[in-house]
Amino acid sequence: MNLPSRLLQLLMVVLMVGGTSYLMMQSLPGDAAWRIAAGRYGYDALDAAAAASVRAELGLEAQGGLHFLYWLGDILRLELGTSLISGESVWVEIRHQLGNSLSLAGAALGISLLIGPPLGLLAGLRAGGWLDRSLLAVCSLLRATPQFLLALVLILLISVEMGLLPAAGHGEPQHFILPAMTLALGLAAVSARLARDAMAAVTQTAFHDFARWKGLSNAQTFWRHGLRHVALPLVTYLGLQFVTLVEGVVVIESIFGWPGIGHALVHAIFSRDVPMVQGTALVLGVGFVVINLLVDLLGRQLDPRGVK
Amino acid sequence: MAEQITCWLGMTLMVLGLGMPQAVKASAQSSGDEQATSRRLEIVAPFDIKGADPLLSGILFQRMQVVETLVEVDATGELQPGLATVWKVSDDGLEWRFTLRSGVQFHDGSRLDAEVARQSLEIARAKPGILKSVPIERIVAADDHTLVIALSEPFAALPAYLADYRQQILAPASFDESGTAQQVIGTGPYRMLRMTPPLSLEVTAFEDYWGEQPEVRQARYQAVSRAEGRALIAESGDADFTYGLDPASRQRLSKSPRVTLAAAATPRTMLLKVNANHPAFQDPDVRRALSLAIDRTAIAQVVLRYPRGASQLFPPMVEGWHDPALPELHQDVFEARALLDAAGWTVGEDGVRQKDGQRLAISLITFSDRPELPLVATVLERQFHAIGIQTRLDITNFSAIPAGHHDGSLDMALFARNLAMVPDPIGNVLSDYAGTPEAPGGDWGAMGWFDADFTAELERMAREGYEPTPEGQDPRAQASGVIQQALPVIPIAWYYQNLAISHRLQRAQVDPWERSFGLSELRWAP
Amino acid sequence: MNQVVEGLAPQRVDAVRRPRLDWPLRRVIGAAIVASLVLLALLGNLVIPGDPLEQHLYRALQGADAVGVSDAGEVITSAPLGYDHLGRSLYHRLVAALGLSLSIAAGAVILAAFSGISLGLLAAGRGGWAERLLSLVADSLLALPGLLLVLMVSVILPSTPLALWLGLSLVLWVEFFRLARATGRSVLASPGVEASRLLGFGAWYRFRHHLWPEMAPVMMTAMAFGMANALMAIAALGFVHVGIPEPTPELGTMMVELLPYWREAPFALLTPVLVTFLLLLGLLLMSGSKARTSTAADTLEGARP
Repeated sequence: MNLPSRLLQLLMVVLMVGGTSYLMMQSLPGDAAWRIAAGRYGYDALDAAAAASVRAELGLEAQGGLHFLYWLGDILRLELGTSLISGESVWVEIRHQLGNSLSLAGAALGISLLIGPPLGLLAGLRAGGWLDRSLLAVCSLLRATPQFLLALVLILLISVEMGLLPAAGHGEPQHFILPAMTLALGLAAVSARLARDAMAAVTQTAFHDFARWKGLSNAQTFWRHGLRHVALPLVTYLGLQFVTLVEGVVVIESIFGWPGIGHALVHAIFSRDVPMVQGTALVLGVGFVVINLLVDLLGRQLDPRGVK
Repeated sequence: MAEQITCWLGMTLMVLGLGMPQAVKASAQSSGDEQATSRRLEIVAPFDIKGADPLLSGILFQRMQVVETLVEVDATGELQPGLATVWKVSDDGLEWRFTLRSGVQFHDGSRLDAEVARQSLEIARAKPGILKSVPIERIVAADDHTLVIALSEPFAALPAYLADYRQQILAPASFDESGTAQQVIGTGPYRMLRMTPPLSLEVTAFEDYWGEQPEVRQARYQAVSRAEGRALIAESGDADFTYGLDPASRQRLSKSPRVTLAAAATPRTMLLKVNANHPAFQDPDVRRALSLAIDRTAIAQVVLRYPRGASQLFPPMVEGWHDPALPELHQDVFEARALLDAAGWTVGEDGVRQKDGQRLAISLITFSDRPELPLVATVLERQFHAIGIQTRLDITNFSAIPAGHHDGSLDMALFARNLAMVPDPIGNVLSDYAGTPEAPGGDWGAMGWFDADFTAELERMAREGYEPTPEGQDPRAQASGVIQQALPVIPIAWYYQNLAISHRLQRAQVDPWERSFGLSELRWAP
Repeated sequence: MNQVVEGLAPQRVDAVRRPRLDWPLRRVIGAAIVASLVLLALLGNLVIPGDPLEQHLYRALQGADAVGVSDAGEVITSAPLGYDHLGRSLYHRLVAALGLSLSIAAGAVILAAFSGISLGLLAAGRGGWAERLLSLVADSLLALPGLLLVLMVSVILPSTPLALWLGLSLVLWVEFFRLARATGRSVLASPGVEASRLLGFGAWYRFRHHLWPEMAPVMMTAMAFGMANALMAIAALGFVHVGIPEPTPELGTMMVELLPYWREAPFALLTPVLVTFLLLLGLLLMSGSKARTSTAADTLEGARP
């Protein structure tokens, strides 16, 4: 995909998120002030006076037909406003949470790369061997396990029964391990299969046979000829894992009490903090388009064929 | 379970009674132990940190003992000196004089005086909150140490209102021009080290605190919203102090070698709010039938794992308001059916009662922030089904309850109400059950139910206090009797606070009033 | 919900080599698992009648019991799998939950497949701005995490099966759209279709006889995979409390409800877990690995349509 169409896609993402957020705001207008007040004050302190003060402060009643255009204008100028709950700028909040989520996602991606592709490559070299078969079984089992169950199993085994790692929390390096592991296992299950298929395909090509025939060792063949071919689908796939990661992050962060963007998103949706929902959704959508663009470029570096 | 609770209550009281002198000894002994003093206490609880303003997360800052109020409360609910040492009221009941503690410093080094306290209270008064319902005319700093609150009519419960977390005293530097707090600069034994909303904050002991220096020097608070998550953290030994345990986790943790469970009765009751404007529920007999349909013991034992359910609105710990002489709320399905029949609601062909062509099908709103509520609502649905009432559960955001109260759309709602937000329950009773004939009841109390005599009596109590009646009866118990008779809300269960405390700690206590985690009283185990 | 990854790897379809829907052992096992669970959902309540909502509070978390008569003389229906935390029969809840989850997921997949295939063929047939616009919308939807979309829809609509159904369809249709467009492009340009058109056969005939045979294997795979994703999403949404409201039994919410009792009654938690797991496993086995992890060239081509 070329740059102009990526930009168009970017614009569409912004419009769609903006439109949905606007619909969210409009869907229950009378309720919005109550919800926001609920998010701010909690059930013990929520009353009509609290809701009235929110309504007055945010001007929730005054919304005409032109409102949507203003709304879009603000988004296009990247003015995301302030969180309805905390009063903090949405940018500031997102920056803080995104950092946490990215570090978690990065750790997960790292672990999954350490586990998945190496196993996949080994399996692919001997397609049909015992490693290949057991890997297939494990991957299928992992793919059929919802992430929150995986998280639960890991917590019960590693942290409660063995007492090796903290069950939840945030702040110390060891807090990374369990949530990152949970995310990583799911990712590794797919990337291992991908690497395995790519490797199996490569070993059947003519150039691979030729390389072996001319006397290169298995390892030499792999480094000189195999790796580039295997890397290509993996890189493409890794870029796309971003979205899978984000979805996993929503559930995983809520179990492990991780103060990231997924946790924030669920909270914002619950308390109807529309600017926060819009901000997080925009950041995620735009991030995904940008990552796709980078993957395109990287793919072209790895495989210059087809570039004029 | 019951023994456990009484045992812990006993211990709590013991700690309160003996804590002070022993505290001095303990800190003297452990002062050489660097390891112990530099250790950080880990607290885990469900409450998110929303921001620095008292209105948003003030209750948490109070629990972490970062901020203090003019008036404090002890475990029995008696008011105690806080930042004010003494207070007295003029003979006409219109002027309260609070003498402030001297030598109190804020965490930024500034000094507490009457003017600072006045500013803080004025800011609180301008925001939504219970202070709005107090007939305050003006607040004046008479001199450095004397704060005068002038009222337009007498209000005996004023000191209790000042103990509420929203009336915390913050340094002037905390606020921006609009009166919103941007920082938490309080006077408590701990000062804020860092705050990272929404999930964690860290405090450290404040060297210039006016009172005793606490043994626990550092503490970190983490918000974990899921009950299972909190229980797992406690079980794996990562938290020293875990707050808000669900019934199932409690059972499990009671066998854990790492933690001890603690429980304390708390002035919180699970209530079923009933719309008395509803054609069926206008009739007190129908409300009574609802109450008779509920198996409180089974709900308490199976769902909540408490020994028994609520027999009236106020739990026994709220002395005066709880009346042991009141006949207990109980289950009697046959009588419930008979009452409904007598009221003209007869069972239709589909098994649902109807009257004049209208089916007795209602919706029940509740929310999942407290995980036991949807469970109890599910049980209620079946128990109402048994007497021919069709109930549709609506598990949503809790804001739907006050919102439904105001637009009149609410039929029934299930929630947990803190009956003593203000340590004196009169504040809650007034806001929940008094109101005006035009707008009877309150957001979290009665709906469509109004009793003029009852309201007048409540207002009299707020004004004059709780002197026994000429017949020697407590007017508070009488008020509870009125509620029990009319059932504008149907009490289901009394709450306990449930904690897991790690064996690294000694003498942890549970504050029944939900005001403090008791950090400054904690000791590290040797 | 990995539809993005899969969506980017459509199978190449060329008119010469027609892909066959082959049935290796893996697929047979998968189909057998799914079929038996569907049968359980359909017939479970007929074999052992019972009410998934009825409570026997004092039997909470107890194991299986036989048919008996209570003190009050009422006949207690048996609960072959024991009772949940509110004393409801796990077996009957499981049967009802399976039915609900399966019908929401199947409904979402059918709606998604229908709209995705129609729009995809429209795009392929019309070309030009229609294709560009539709592709743009599809690509942009892909750029939003699916769970986020479902969450947003369920805020706009009240939390009902309808919201889940619509939200999931909104996420799933893109996959079918992309597959249909890719197939449509190559098939519509083939001499066979050209001949049909010249012979005066209608659009439905051309779809039935030229397009569908080409698409069927891929679409069936995509549908099985979409079902698995939808079921996983419903469970995950139940976990963040946006799923089906109480007291309706649903697999995801059943797991969440029973989670706190994992040590007291591990079997109670295990039953919905096992059923969900088997269902997903069956569907994934049915969908086969080919559609998900294709060769290097396919993946790359998919990423740069």
